[in-house]
Amino acid sequence: MRRTILAGVVICLGVVGQVRHEDVMKGAGENWLTYAGTYAGWRYSPLNQITAENAKNMVPKWVYHVPGARGLRSSPIVYQGVMYITNTNSVYAIDARSGRLVWQYADPRAQKGGVNRGAAIWGERVYFTTSDNYLVALDRQTGGLIFNKKFADVEKGTTSTSAPVIAKGKVIVGSAGGDSGMRGFIMALSAETGAELWKTYTVPAKGEKGAETWGDLIEWGGGAAWLSGTYDAELNTLYWTTGNPWPDYNGGVRQGDNLYTCSLLALDLDTGKMKWHFQFTPHDTHDWDAQSWPMLVDTEIRGQKRKVVLHANRNGYFYALDRVTGEFLRATPLIDKITWAKGVDDKGRPIQLPNIEPTATGNWICPSVKGATNWMGQSYNPGTGLLYVLTLEQCGMYFRSSQEPQPMKNFSGGGATEEGGQVVLRALDPKTGNRVWEYPMTGAGRMWTGTVSTAGGVIFSGDDDGHMVGLDARSGKNLWYFNTGELLTASPITYAVDGKQYVAVASATAVFAFGLFEPASGVEPPVVRMKK
Amino acid sequence: MRAIAVVFLTVPLLAQHGRYLSDSHHPSIGNPEAIAAGTKLFMGSCAGCHGPDGGGGARGPNLVRRSLWHPLSDEAIFQVIRKGVPGTDMPPTKLTDDQTWNLVAFIHALTGPASTNPVPGDAAAGKAVYWGAKAGCANCHAIRGQGGKTAPDLSNVGGSRPLAVIRESIVEPGKDLTYLGNEAAVVELKDGRTLRGVAKNRSNYSLQLVDGTGRLHLLRMSDVKELTLQETTAMPVDYGTRLSRTELRDLLAYLAAQDIRPAEGKGSK
Ligand code: HEC
Ligand code: HEC
Repeated sequence: MRRTILAGVVICLGVVGQVRHEDVMKGAGENWLTYAGTYAGWRYSPLNQITAENAKNMVPKWVYHVPGARGLRSSPIVYQGVMYITNTNSVYAIDARSGRLVWQYADPRAQKGGVNRGAAIWGERVYFTTSDNYLVALDRQTGGLIFNKKFADVEKGTTSTSAPVIAKGKVIVGSAGGDSGMRGFIMALSAETGAELWKTYTVPAKGEKGAETWGDLIEWGGGAAWLSGTYDAELNTLYWTTGNPWPDYNGGVRQGDNLYTCSLLALDLDTGKMKWHFQFTPHDTHDWDAQSWPMLVDTEIRGQKRKVVLHANRNGYFYALDRVTGEFLRATPLIDKITWAKGVDDKGRPIQLPNIEPTATGNWICPSVKGATNWMGQSYNPGTGLLYVLTLEQCGMYFRSSQEPQPMKNFSGGGATEEGGQVVLRALDPKTGNRVWEYPMTGAGRMWTGTVSTAGGVIFSGDDDGHMVGLDARSGKNLWYFNTGELLTASPITYAVDGKQYVAVASATAVFAFGLFEPASGVEPPVVRMKK
Repeated sequence: MRAIAVVFLTVPLLAQHGRYLSDSHHPSIGNPEAIAAGTKLFMGSCAGCHGPDGGGGARGPNLVRRSLWHPLSDEAIFQVIRKGVPGTDMPPTKLTDDQTWNLVAFIHALTGPASTNPVPGDAAAGKAVYWGAKAGCANCHAIRGQGGKTAPDLSNVGGSRPLAVIRESIVEPGKDLTYLGNEAAVVELKDGRTLRGVAKNRSNYSLQLVDGTGRLHLLRMSDVKELTLQETTAMPVDYGTRLSRTELRDLLAYLAAQDIRPAEGKGSK
């Protein structure tokens, strides 16, 4: 019934309006306006047309094959029926109802290749970054270029991969390239002009506070910021994670904690000033970047209501911090097998075990270099009160090379293997850190899909062998699956057009959109006339 | 003509040729002396078959058009000149490396992105022509966010199109070469409304229409009662006579300089 009414009223999508701060603040709904759907990072949508009861009726609605794509990392943005997806140095606007291309923008002369995690939208513009560090602003309706502005030099080892996050007209971008030696930073650029507003380095300069935690190679210390982060508007604070110190596996040349690598930074949106930092893995030698979503959740911890930032870390632990002060509240094991630390002390510092460093002949450590989790999007569902995290039970051999470290020579001071292992989707209780349910997957530990969850009580994710899955958000019971036929490499989203809910995901080479089955009605072509 | 249009639909607007993916950075490319030397050689050895401007002759194809469906990297052009195309009239040559690179520079100037080559004319004067009322280009086209939205964005036209192709799109618009699948359309909807604009990416099931104000409409064909398409392009067809030769030359110099990538010291801007 509802459907007939909708069909009668909404017959044409005229794309009007512009994306304002309050629109993004509202979070997901028909639109999906930022990488994680909400500033708080939730990947949660109040849409409830697809439910745990009817998810079994889901079918693919359309597929868009992104030309030349090999491993899409892009999380789509959707605004007023148009989906924006990125690949290396390119953006595609797709009719979110039909999967037809609206426009595309490509910059094949960018100096670098590499992955791209998505676009951002603000005002009348769609933003993304090229691999060689240009912020590009495009007219969202035509794809016409408005400006492209370089914010960093590839010559200094920096590339760009993350989806920008835009808050109060500031486009927040980061820096990738930490495995080859560079100095990580987070920057705010003007959405209006692309001009630099502030730049905060993730590794101090020589002589600055924190520099004493490094050796001579501090200028190439890494601490890349290759994943975007979250934002608390009330505290006006950005939560951004940083990557590993360089050289990754050779800690001998950088004695000390190596601040502010493998950390969570709380930055003032207006100035970029660091309000606090928390380092998960001091002096990391296992390439355990902290790139995993800082989830902003208000919850009770040990009987006290708190503003919390939840963080599932690659090093194997699941953290809860006070997001106002950075105070450490709790860490619990995220995975079953952790062999490098005995636990985390009451200040939040890992209690390391002896002989965990990479060696010339190899040291077998759990978790593996890919980590107990990684950048796959997590989802927090306020209806169930649960956090859904992709975890990886995997160990690996860690090697150290005695070769002299040379910046920007793609040298990480050693190497590591990723062997066997299993991906397990886990539902965690933010109050306690305990597991509520888990969904083990088959595969080789190579997927990058995250999760999205909805008010319909469904959580969507991809498994480790190319199936999209719909699970009951309360129990983890499988409701639906679909084989995409290739590796899933990016996180799903959900949106609605004309009152119909869709779930979309980028696989290795294509974008898939799913929805509830509807019988086809057949199309009678309209009268088409040609005029001279 | 419509059949050709479909082929060009799949071509990215801002990156027409895959060619600069493999662009060499040989010093002769974009170098005015090398191009001049190449032009001379071309007149002597090649023009007999390919025509003096590479526009085609009785025994050899139009090299600009050919580059649209058979794009070659500079290295590949070098090899073609050296080895010929076996089994066809295109002969091998015995030129030195330098001479061959000079010819490549000439062919690149002909078929490569206009911004990578020296172009005659006064770009500043051309800018005034472009934005002026006589030409009125900005009523339909945008450059870097300024201008109309119904016609292709020209921010990268010099960075993606050979000069000859840009010229042709202005003086002979609607010719198959640059047809980009923009159909001037009037859409009568079943709910009684009528929309006018440029239709893009039309299928039997859906249609995308940018109206005169630049607003995008995503339409279902099942909601369309009648669709009227203009056979001819929406681009004015009289610029060949409306603009003087100098105005046209300067306009081309301005368009050739429109590139989303900075010049990196090549050619003249
Ligand atoms: C005898 C006539 C003839 C002469 C002389 C000649 N060409 Fe060609 N050329 C051809 C023909 C015919 C083709 C098309 C070959 C084919 O069908 O693939 C061609 C093709 C080409 C191509 C395109 C190749 C491709 O694969 O797309 C280039 C570039 C070219 N010629 C450059 C030159 C240059 C430079 C010279 C002078 C050194 C030259 N040609 C002299 C006849 C000629
Ligand atoms: C009334 C609208 C209109 C005006 C005015 C107009 N154009 Fe166009 N132009 C178009 C359209 C529409 C196309 C797309 C051609 C097609 O698909 O048939 C186009 C195509 C072009 C192209 C080819 C674009 C490409 O991507 O290759 C160029 C170059 C161009 N125009 C330049 C100009 C210049 C320069 C002027 C002013 C002298 C101008 N146009 C004035 C509508 C216009």
